[in-house]
Amino acid sequence: MKPLTLNFRSKAAQTLGDDQVQQSLEHVYTGFYQARLNAAADTPNWEEMRTKGKAIKDHTIAHLDHYLDTLSEKVEQNGGTVFFAENAEEARQYITKLAKASKIETVIKAKSMVSEEMSLTENLIDSGFEAVETDLGEYIIQLAGETPYHLIAPAVHKSRKDVAELLDNNFVDGDRVPDATELTMLAREKLRDVFARADMSVTGVNFAVAESGSIVLVTNEGNGRMTTSVPRIHVAVMGMEKIVPSIQDLSTMLRILIRSATGQRISTYVTMINGPKTPEEEEGPDEFHLVIMNNGREKLLRDPQLRESLNCIRCGACLNACPVYRKVGGHAYGWVYPGPIGAIVTPVLTGLKDASNLPSASSLCGACHEVCPVKINIPRMLLELRYRTAEGSTDPKERTSTFMERAIWKIWRVGMMGRRRFDWGAHIAYLLMRPISSNGWIKKAPPPISGWTLSRDFPLIARKSLKSRLNRRRKKTFYD
Amino acid sequence: MTDKASFIRQVTKALGRSEILPPEANCATAIFEDRVSAAASAEKAVADAVSLSENLIGQMAQSAETAGWKVHRIDTLEMATELVVDICKDQKATSVLRSTHSVLTDIPLDAALSATGTTVEVTKHTSVRSIQQIQKSKSVAFSADVGITGVDYAIAETGTVVLHPRAGVSRLLSLAPPTHIAILRPGEVLMSLDELFAIQRDDFFNGELQGSMNLISGPSRTADIEGTTVTGIHGPLEVHLIIVENNKS
Repeated sequence: MKPLTLNFRSKAAQTLGDDQVQQSLEHVYTGFYQARLNAAADTPNWEEMRTKGKAIKDHTIAHLDHYLDTLSEKVEQNGGTVFFAENAEEARQYITKLAKASKIETVIKAKSMVSEEMSLTENLIDSGFEAVETDLGEYIIQLAGETPYHLIAPAVHKSRKDVAELLDNNFVDGDRVPDATELTMLAREKLRDVFARADMSVTGVNFAVAESGSIVLVTNEGNGRMTTSVPRIHVAVMGMEKIVPSIQDLSTMLRILIRSATGQRISTYVTMINGPKTPEEEEGPDEFHLVIMNNGREKLLRDPQLRESLNCIRCGACLNACPVYRKVGGHAYGWVYPGPIGAIVTPVLTGLKDASNLPSASSLCGACHEVCPVKINIPRMLLELRYRTAEGSTDPKERTSTFMERAIWKIWRVGMMGRRRFDWGAHIAYLLMRPISSNGWIKKAPPPISGWTLSRDFPLIARKSLKSRLNRRRKKTFYD
Repeated sequence: MTDKASFIRQVTKALGRSEILPPEANCATAIFEDRVSAAASAEKAVADAVSLSENLIGQMAQSAETAGWKVHRIDTLEMATELVVDICKDQKATSVLRSTHSVLTDIPLDAALSATGTTVEVTKHTSVRSIQQIQKSKSVAFSADVGITGVDYAIAETGTVVLHPRAGVSRLLSLAPPTHIAILRPGEVLMSLDELFAIQRDDFFNGELQGSMNLISGPSRTADIEGTTVTGIHGPLEVHLIIVENNKS
């Protein structure tokens, strides 16, 4: 997926004005968010698990070089092939070349956000292959020619009618809209035909186990299993951070991932792949390829303030918890990763200048931090990125803060540094505000405060500070 | 093109080092747990599965139901034959594909199904595989009405049936047919995911890790259309778990 030029405001405005999409976005809250909440409440040692998950990821990222080395060695020992891709272009080329050399006709895809980073499906189609998404949500999105709206529910913004129009060629406006079951069965039939002829698959990786060279796929639909059972070549693509050190770490990681994503105790299918199929097996891929991609992640790794974002296991919980995401939707974020975590990784991974505004798409309420299964402190990083954008992270010439903004904060700083200065400042502010206030409130202020008063009233600063009132009271009590 | 060495060198550099730093012992992950203690955990997991069997079977029945299995608890294995035949009848099954798990040959299942006019196919080991044979194995799986397996393990915590695909237990057998029936015997239920992965790790240390593993917890499902849960998008629409309570009749 090409980084789109960011148009957060207009995309957000469009979504805010779309009643149907607003209604669909409710599912994110009533479905996923509530389910996660119940799951966390039903799990006695939930906080302990999160702490352990965080520790496992912190440790892995701190020794990522070591674990990448081990992982690739083990995958090769298991009979797989490892390809290290510096960027999306290299990964794409490797997969396309492999498909060409193996005379592939049909590629089936399971959900993978990393493959979205490389616009893999479109690229395979452009190179002359049939390429089909098999996750139902992704399939719908592919038919619509759109990009995923949510990390785990790509088509959450589509109504049944939208889906009917996309899936059923005979559907015309005015027909009875089929129910979700009918539509799902229609998709099952269509995708079964594709499975029957597929000769190569591309899947993502939920966890790669360094010590054993295993990869783990988590799905509810079973497409993760189909894609690793039917075709003769299986290519798994992963971001380089998706490692856990040991097989035994999987129990903790699976527990926190799945509960945080959908609220289930476990997803219907968890598949562990330890290389190509064994010689005595009837079905399964003869070849297993693992593509490990950097694509800018090294910038997050290098940055002690942002490194923590590589702990992300892509559960989508921060999206569901975010009051901003739940209103502006996934497309407003402009790239593969929406929501709070997207607001951190998109500016860094894409390097897009206009993505630097994404960290402002947050009220800093902290809900994302609260629900994160690996306790990523998202608000802290959003603030850090905001600071860098305002002040210019390396070059002060690149700062975006205006002269006025800086001047105001400077005055504020000076004013806050002494009691007397503060009292004076407050009194001056009171005198300036009084003429435009009524009954203690300012309903309409001149710029630059007009932005505030557009949607809420601004309280008039009190004529006397609390301290001076208390002092007076005290004098009265003591001397009167 | 980037080679492995320069890719990893870049990561090392990004971590602020000049050389790969192996992890220190005593850290969060289980990576430093040695072979002996891994073997002990695995042994305990298997021993518990037997000694706590009665308890674990009860928990399994409950969590399997939550996960979406249609659970049937029967006293002895002999009763399974009739039950399987009944389920196949309900599904109007004309063809059945089964694994080579011993639980399926300990009972006269093939004969009973054949008697009702159902074709029984068995996934087998084919030492010389031609493309035609592979195609045939796939098309048998895709056209079967019911897939029947035993279990390699079950997990009480999550209501999960664990299957290692191998000769006689094909990958598609429990996935492609619209109905999957799994038969579970006492002693096969592990307490939790921890026990399962402890066993896997011990197998790995002993060079016995299997090619792949599937954890199955209920029917295939999706909620991608308006958040409505629908079963049977790619895998089975219906899954039955037959739990045999007593090993001996």
